[in-house]
Amino acid sequence: MRVARLDRWNPRGLWTLYRRALLRHFARWIDSLAGPAATMLLYLAVLILARGNLGQEIWPGIDTASFVAAGLVAHITCLSAFEAMAGYMLWERMEGIIQDQLAAPFSALELLAGWVLGAATCGLLTGATVALLFWPLVGWPAFDPLPLLGFALLGALLFALIGVLVGLWARKWDHYAAAESFLLMPLGLLSGTFFLRADLPELGSTLLTFNPVFYIVDGFRSGFLGRNDGNNLLGALLLIALVYCLAIVGLRLVARGWRLKP
Amino acid sequence: MAGSEAKAERGADAALAPRLIGRLNGRGLWTLYLKEVKRFLNVATQTLMAPVVTTLLFLAVFTLALGRGNADVLGVSYGLFLVPGLTVMAMLQNAFANTSSSIVIAKVQGNIVDVLMPPLSAFELTLGFVAGGVTRGLLVGFAVWLTLSIFVGFAVHDVLAMLFFAANASLMLSLLGLIGGIWSEKFDHIAAVTNFVVMPLSFLSGTFYTVDRLPEGWQFLAHLNPFFYMIDGMRYGALGHADASLAVGSLVLLGVNLALFLTAWRIFHVGWRLKA
Repeated sequence: MRVARLDRWNPRGLWTLYRRALLRHFARWIDSLAGPAATMLLYLAVLILARGNLGQEIWPGIDTASFVAAGLVAHITCLSAFEAMAGYMLWERMEGIIQDQLAAPFSALELLAGWVLGAATCGLLTGATVALLFWPLVGWPAFDPLPLLGFALLGALLFALIGVLVGLWARKWDHYAAAESFLLMPLGLLSGTFFLRADLPELGSTLLTFNPVFYIVDGFRSGFLGRNDGNNLLGALLLIALVYCLAIVGLRLVARGWRLKP
Repeated sequence: MAGSEAKAERGADAALAPRLIGRLNGRGLWTLYLKEVKRFLNVATQTLMAPVVTTLLFLAVFTLALGRGNADVLGVSYGLFLVPGLTVMAMLQNAFANTSSSIVIAKVQGNIVDVLMPPLSAFELTLGFVAGGVTRGLLVGFAVWLTLSIFVGFAVHDVLAMLFFAANASLMLSLLGLIGGIWSEKFDHIAAVTNFVVMPLSFLSGTFYTVDRLPEGWQFLAHLNPFFYMIDGMRYGALGHADASLAVGSLVLLGVNLALFLTAWRIFHVGWRLKA
């Protein structure tokens, strides 16, 4: 038997960590892919039914259904990345099995990268599933992969990183549920997924600019519908800055072993 | 003198003698009920506050999204129209979550025997679990209704109808949660029931629209959904308008609840998926 040589970094370990997150996602596909897809389909159906006047256009050539559908894909991409990170991390901490990863030859950066990239990919997979499901229904009027992939990646990374922070901070399921109900859901639902910024009162419109999810949803719209509310460049820069800051914080916490090591 | 001695003797006997259980194990039932209620009160942020916040979000999102061109439904503002339906939806999900999570966690962890071993009959078990779920459903419903009403205004047309439909809604979902929980062998199973049965039925029950919005064939389907009658009845209680006949709704709910109760009772009696 050969001894594995680790030079400056551990690519095989990183790949193992990443692959594990994906396998876990696929193994529980009913919960991780089919469940969110069904829920998003319901949201869309209910909104269209309640709105009644299907033909009404939000923007020229873009009806309510595709406007909301694009927002829902953004919403589920983020939420799914968060759940794939925070849920499993808390579970592994509570069971003590996270020690297997902490004891393996990983640097803090490799651990964080493996976790976050894995969870972000899970979010992207769920988002892609929902986007494909919506395709025959709304037919994505102006599909543009470049902004779409860019914002999908930023959104998934951001929420995977939030997932790391929540996964480290929470000590029991009650904490996790609180973060989801009082932070994630409000951020996600009050982000312009369902409504146009112009329809909000002035205060709401100002508050919306402080919600990072707004820029993600807006970026998704430019990739699906070819039109959006805000400025893509500004949104992308803000999100990159935010992802960078959270990555630094996450890295610091993992390196110190906050709530990971006794 | 002799009297008080006899009394003391009886007291000592009573302390040592086996406790006689009559036709109904009242203390056991009460203990099971208390356990079920304390279980969710212990995590009240998650079980009471979270539904209130989430429902408030739904109210905000839907009134914002549909604010344009949907001024009035049934002669009231869209927000006011939504309140009864959203209240019932929160009740449904929480009543279901209470019984199903209690059973599934106990089964997965193996401590279900602590409930099955004591001298509780199948009837008492069913009643104890379901009463806990109904309590959570009603508490959540009241909290949600109160909070939403503060924002959009209070509307009460018939309190008794509201209570009747609220109680029946909570009862039905507690029973479904109980049966679903016993059927599930792991958390994934009950999550699938929540995602693919409870959520669709509650979302497509007319909370967000009046059923006449639906195309012909779908209106008929909507009337087959028992959840529709709960929301319709609740809306009658709040706003005084019902899409379907209240008598039919009441009978459907009572009938389904009776059938589910008997099923749950039978399941506990046989020990299906509970006893080896």
